Amino acid sequence: MSVRTSAPTQGLILLAPALLVYCLFAVYPMLDVAALSFMKWNGLSPTKQFVGLDNYVQVFTQDPVFWQAVRNTVLWTVMSVIFPPAIGFALALALNQSIPGRSPLRALFYLPVIIAPIAVATMWRWMYDPFFGLFNATLTALGLQNLIQDWLGDRNVALYSMFIAYVWQTVGFSLVLFLAGLQNVSQTLIEASRIDGAGRFQVFRYVTLPALRPSITIVLILSIINSLKAFDIVYGMTGGGPAQSTQMLALWAFTQAMQLGDFGHGAAISVVLLLITIAIVIPYLRWTHTHRESGL
Amino acid sequence: MRVPTLWLRWTSAAALVLGSALSVQAQEIKFWTLNFANDSANRAFQSIVKQFQDANPGVTIKVEQRGTDEHKSALRVASGSEQAPDIYFMWAGLGLGGEFVKSGLALPMDRYYAEYKWDDRFLPVALSFSKDYPGGRFGVPYTFKGEAIYYNKALFQKAGITSEPKTYDELVAAADKLAKAGIPAFTFGGTVNWHVMRLMDEILETACGAEKHDALMSMKVNWAEEPCATKAFEEFHNWTAKYTLKPFMGIDQLQAFNLFLAGRAAMMLEGDWLVGQLRDAKRLADFAVFPFPTGGKRLYGFAEYNYVSTKSKNPDVAAKFLDFLASTPVQQAHLGEFGTISVNKDVKYTSTEPLEVAWRGIFGGYDGTFVNGDQAFPLNVTTEYWRIINQVASDSLDPKAAAGELQKFIANAK
Repeated sequence: MSVRTSAPTQGLILLAPALLVYCLFAVYPMLDVAALSFMKWNGLSPTKQFVGLDNYVQVFTQDPVFWQAVRNTVLWTVMSVIFPPAIGFALALALNQSIPGRSPLRALFYLPVIIAPIAVATMWRWMYDPFFGLFNATLTALGLQNLIQDWLGDRNVALYSMFIAYVWQTVGFSLVLFLAGLQNVSQTLIEASRIDGAGRFQVFRYVTLPALRPSITIVLILSIINSLKAFDIVYGMTGGGPAQSTQMLALWAFTQAMQLGDFGHGAAISVVLLLITIAIVIPYLRWTHTHRESGL
Repeated sequence: MRVPTLWLRWTSAAALVLGSALSVQAQEIKFWTLNFANDSANRAFQSIVKQFQDANPGVTIKVEQRGTDEHKSALRVASGSEQAPDIYFMWAGLGLGGEFVKSGLALPMDRYYAEYKWDDRFLPVALSFSKDYPGGRFGVPYTFKGEAIYYNKALFQKAGITSEPKTYDELVAAADKLAKAGIPAFTFGGTVNWHVMRLMDEILETACGAEKHDALMSMKVNWAEEPCATKAFEEFHNWTAKYTLKPFMGIDQLQAFNLFLAGRAAMMLEGDWLVGQLRDAKRLADFAVFPFPTGGKRLYGFAEYNYVSTKSKNPDVAAKFLDFLASTPVQQAHLGEFGTISVNKDVKYTSTEPLEVAWRGIFGGYDGTFVNGDQAFPLNVTTEYWRIINQVASDSLDPKAAAGELQKFIANAK
C-alpha cells in the first residue's frame, strides 16, 4: 500500500525541518531581541522590567556614541558597496582572460576569504603597529617618514585603515561571484554582437553587463548585509576606539549588552540596525525584481 | 546463609565504587579566572591546584582562564545558566565585584569566614571589601595590588635626574628634564582604555584630594562645577601632549611594556605585578619604583577577590580550596608570584630584591587606598569616562570641556 501525497504537501514535509530550525534559531531570537528592547535587564537579574520606549529614547537622545556608530556604519556600507565589488569585478574581468597562471591567481585572491576575520584583524593590527609594523617600517626604509601614521590610533585614519583590511579580505568573494557570472555569459551572443559590428566596449556594455545583472545584484546585496554586520574585524583591530571613533552599530549593541550589561539598550540598537538593513535591502530587491520582470 | 552474605558484600562493594565514582564526578570545581600576567604566576597556580588535588582525592579543580573583557562577558552569560563556575575571579568593591554580588551570583560566605577564621588571617585593608556588600560577607581576598611609577634608572641618569620625585611639581620637573634629553617620560597603551586612565586617576587624586576625589567618583558632586576636575583634565592633557611616547592610542599595554623594556620611554604607571614580568624578562636590575606623588596619604590600588558562586553544587569544597589558596604555607611558598605582597598577614618577607623591598615600603607608607576609575564607576559611566579621556588624549576634545561632558552623561544616566 502506498500513500500518495500532492507535490505541495511533499514540499511542505521536506521544508518543515529546516523551517522549524530557522524559526527556533533565527525568528525566535529576533522576536526576543525586539521584546527585550522594551525591557530593562542587566543580564543577571532573574526579572526584566518593562520600560516602554525608554531604551529607544535613551539610544536616540542620550547615547553619546550611537550617532557616531550610525555615521560609521553608513560610511562603511557605502564604501563596501563600492570598493570590494569594483575591485572584484576588475579582477574577475582580468582573470576571465586566458592568462598564464590564471588558476593559481584565482586561488590566491580567494584565499583571504577563508581566513577567520579575527585572524585577519590580528594580522593587520601587527602590520599597522606604529613602531614595529610592516607599513611604517616600509615607509621608513623608503625615506618616507613624513607619511608614517598611527594607523589604528588616529581617529581620522583608523576607520579607513580597518576598511583596507576588510577590502583585502572580502574582495575575493566578489571576484568569485563575478567570475561565475562571466563564465555564464553566452558566447553566441558575444560573437553575434561582434558580427553586427560591436566594439569591445559595446560588447561589454550591451551584452556582458546585462548578462551579469543577477551576479551584480547578489554581490551588492551581500556586500550591504555583510557591511552592516561588520563586527569581528572592528572588535579585533580597534575595539571601536580610539575614543569610540570607529564604533559600529553591531559592535556597540554587543558592547552595551555583553560588556556593560544593559541588554535593553543593546537590544534597541540591534532593532535599529535590523530596521536599517530591511529599509535598504527590501526596496533594492523589489527594484531589481521589477526590472527583471520588465526585462530592462 | 553464606551465599546471600557474599552477594551482599559484592553488591555493597560495587555500590561503594560506583558511589565514589559519582562523588568524583560531583566534586569537580570549575574555577574561572583571568589569564595571568606572567609565566611564573601561571606555573605557581598550576602547582597549587595540583597540591590541593593530591591532598583531596576525588576533587578536580578545572581552571578556565580568559582575557578581562571575555571573562566578564562569559560570566554574565553563564550566570543565567547552570553552566556557571563554582568559583569566579572578580575585583573587590562596589563597582565590578558589586554588580555580580547584587545580582545574586555570589554566595554569602559568613559561615566560611567563621569556620576558617579568615578574619584572623587576612590583611585588614584587603579584607575590608568583603564587608562592603549588604546581606553578608562576600568573596575571599586573593591579591592586593598597588600601582606606582616604574622608571628606567639609566634614562633618569641620562636626563640628570638624581632623586625620585617626592612631589607632583618634582615629577613635572623630572618630565621636563627627560623631554630636554629627548626622552618621552611615559609610555601607555591607548587601545585598552584603562591603561591611560591610571594617569587621569592619579592626577585627579592630586588635583582634588581624597575627599573630593571620592565624591566625584561616587557621582555625589557635579563634575562640571568642580574646578579641580577641569584642572585634572588639563593636567592630564599636558602629560599626554608633552610627556608621553607617541603614538600611543593604537597600541596596547603589552606593546607599551615592550617599548618600556626597550628604553623608548622612562616611566610606566604599573602595578606591583610588573615585578614578575620584569623578573621573567630578566631586567629587574634596570628599573626602580616610586609612588605617584599625589601629596595625599592614599595609595592607588585595589583588591582582587575570588567569589563562590550561588550556582555551585559544592560550595564547601570551593571554600576549602580558597582556604587552601590563602593558607600561610601556600602564600609563603608562592610569595612574589601573584604580587609583591600577600593578602595573608602571617607571611614573612625575606626577599632582598630591591623592587620587592621598595614595594613593601610603599605598601607600608600609606593609610588607605583609592581605587581605579573603572572599579569606582558603574560600567556605563566607566565607558564614557574612557571615551572622554581618550578624546582629550587624542586632542579631539578641549580638556576644559571634558568635565562638563562627563557630567552630562552622568546626569542622563541617573
